[in-house]
Amino acid sequence: MDNMKLPKEKVGDFLAKLGKEKFRVPQQMEGSSKFAPLNGESNADFTLSNTTVPPKSIFYPQTETLYRYNVGETAMEAPGEVDEMIIMGIRPCDARALSTVDKLFTWDPVDPYYKSRRDKATMVGLACQEPRTNCFCTSVGGGPASTEGLDILMTDLGDSYLFQVLTEKGEKICQEAGDILVKSDDSDVQAAEKLHNDAAQKIVRGIDSQDIPEKLPQLWESEIWKKVSDPCLGCGACTFLCPTCHCFDIQDEVEGLEGRRCRVWDSCMFKEYTLHTSGHNPRPSRRERTRNRINHKYSYFVDKFGVIACVGCGRCINLCPVNIDILNILSQVKEAL
Amino acid sequence: MSEQFEPNVVAFLCNWCSYAGADLAGTSRIQYPPNLNVIRVMCTGRINPLFVINAFQQGADGVLVSGCHPGDCHYMEGNYFARRRFTMMKELLDYVGVDNKRFHMSWVSASEGAKWKDVVKSTVDEAKEVGPFAQFQRNKINW
Amino acid sequence: MADLEKLITVAKETVSRDDVKYLIGWRQGTYGFRVSPHFITEPEEADKLIFSPLCSNNLATYLTLVEKLPVPRGQEADTRKIALMVKGCDSRAVVQQLVEQGIKRESVIILGCPCQGVVDLAKVEEKFPAGLEQVAARWDDGKIVFQFSDGEKAVPREEVLADKCLRCRYPNPVLADTLLWEEVEAGSSSDEYADVSELEAKTPEERWSFWEAQFSSCVRCYSCRNVCPMCYCEDCILDRLNPTWVNRSNNISENTAFHLSRAFHLAGRCIECGECERVCPVNIPIMTLNRKLTKEVREKFAYEPGTDPASKPLQASYRPNDQENFIL
Repeated sequence: MDNMKLPKEKVGDFLAKLGKEKFRVPQQMEGSSKFAPLNGESNADFTLSNTTVPPKSIFYPQTETLYRYNVGETAMEAPGEVDEMIIMGIRPCDARALSTVDKLFTWDPVDPYYKSRRDKATMVGLACQEPRTNCFCTSVGGGPASTEGLDILMTDLGDSYLFQVLTEKGEKICQEAGDILVKSDDSDVQAAEKLHNDAAQKIVRGIDSQDIPEKLPQLWESEIWKKVSDPCLGCGACTFLCPTCHCFDIQDEVEGLEGRRCRVWDSCMFKEYTLHTSGHNPRPSRRERTRNRINHKYSYFVDKFGVIACVGCGRCINLCPVNIDILNILSQVKEAL
Repeated sequence: MSEQFEPNVVAFLCNWCSYAGADLAGTSRIQYPPNLNVIRVMCTGRINPLFVINAFQQGADGVLVSGCHPGDCHYMEGNYFARRRFTMMKELLDYVGVDNKRFHMSWVSASEGAKWKDVVKSTVDEAKEVGPFAQFQRNKINW
Repeated sequence: MADLEKLITVAKETVSRDDVKYLIGWRQGTYGFRVSPHFITEPEEADKLIFSPLCSNNLATYLTLVEKLPVPRGQEADTRKIALMVKGCDSRAVVQQLVEQGIKRESVIILGCPCQGVVDLAKVEEKFPAGLEQVAARWDDGKIVFQFSDGEKAVPREEVLADKCLRCRYPNPVLADTLLWEEVEAGSSSDEYADVSELEAKTPEERWSFWEAQFSSCVRCYSCRNVCPMCYCEDCILDRLNPTWVNRSNNISENTAFHLSRAFHLAGRCIECGECERVCPVNIPIMTLNRKLTKEVREKFAYEPGTDPASKPLQASYRPNDQENFIL
């Protein structure tokens, strides 16, 4: 399908035509930003760079009911069907994160909750033009205009958005939008490509991640883990706000005679994450927990699924209260061997 | 008949004074509103302030904490500690927007059946006045 | 005036002592205006120490955050001291930990750093967007001077200092074994709790809608709890499953219960270092909640935590004539 253009003044029409209730868009809330449904007035903010809370929360929410039950009975009630969604304005790194996590959730067994949401969602990405200081997507296989995991890639051309259609799902959206979208020509694509290249040039941080997955296992007992984890507070900011972190805990919550089994985000940086009933903890201190976090992203996940489970969005660096910097850790890893 | 709102008030009573006071009100055939769910504890000093938060989460429209008058505590000083705790708890609840009329503390001795009636009446009336509690009740949330 | 040479000399001496396990100070972070806690075991590592308006971390939290691992059979527990650099507010945390017997006096060495106020990173980054370049800063007579590679930029202190520092009444350490340089003038700042009063003046409904919006955005990462020097229970109620005080699920009911429990556990203990608010990734004004209780504690019980090592914890003591005008 040809590339299309969405004039900026038509964004409202576009949202309305496709059905506002379907959209999940980046929004600035009280003190943070996240993806949320549109409510009433168009409150989408496509100028935000990465949202504070990554869009993973749409696909595996922080709290998800697996089923409901009544105490003393055997019947279970599964949650209802999911509606179609259009995730508009997702940044390429976050979209890559989801296609990374897909590998895990559709592995063995397939996670029906996650899968059904993914199937129902169309991803309309927005190419990055102003990467932040701690963005390093180009070091881990991505880029400010990466198309992985996207159905449409939008590029801000100033007075309009260029829609580069990548999949059938994306085509469907464009057809539905009808004449709200206008045809684009080659000069638009060239302009967009220039913007993409410029953006890639603006990324200041990075690391050569090629040999890291290989090296990490040899550093198991290295003293760097103690050093980098000394200031760690053991909070969940880095993992909860990481677009690829996907660990969860299953809890039964009972109120009176009604109960539900739900899963909630969990973090490998918490002490209770690996705590055994016996009181033994195989990861007794923050040294082991930090080591696990880095190893999981740059070694275990690579072994199993062939990709690094880090997309270089920079959230963990931006939000760490004590300046634990994953790029700094990785460069120490490279030095240590 | 119009449905009148009947609040669900959780009352934490100390075993030695307020519970006995409520008992006395009963045996003296003093009538008071039946909206109370009484939880008997050994001393007000044993009431963890989180009980109050939890009661609200689990569906209480009002909470009452009642114990011995200062100086009368069966354990000498339990109610003095409770007094400090709930002074702050009351302020905290009010500050986040839980109406002041939903949480009360009282001193009722074993001989004060009549005072017990007044305390319950005013507690229940005030909870009625502010209506059902929905701010952070668990089952108001779409699970 | 912060004397870096003195600081490094003292740090080297301290960390060379046989009875000192390690020293905790601050060092320049990996980019921009960031600063990271610096754990030193060898004297040469002390050269990286800094003390500047960027050193906002309260290091007292590491005294209680340290994991107590089981001692292997046949080995003796390491009872060496931990040396710690403290600002005024940080020293109050140490004092309060001592008051509560959370730490032992003989197990810490307190290096006092009289402080002229630290910056609020958000305010600074609004003025100077953070780049990769590591920027240092220093105090200069009512101004904060940022040292960029292409020159220095001075900003009046009021524009970039953290709110807690603008109303600071304890710029000098309350308790210290060594005072690294002469005390700074306490100044005339007073604390009228304007932020708290502003919220108090609203109706309960308005207050709830304010907090409801704030609590809903909480992601429950627990950085506020972990960074707090006063939150050091070995078995936190938030981690407990039997009984489950607060469910793990993220919704307004559990989030409110979490925030109320956390705030209440700090009643009469919060030393107002503001770390909880600083670290919150979703910027919940946690101090506005904590300060309500500090205000009540000060007004009703004339108690100020972390100022007197000889005092008793507020909630573990009482006066027979404590006011009780709210009691029926």
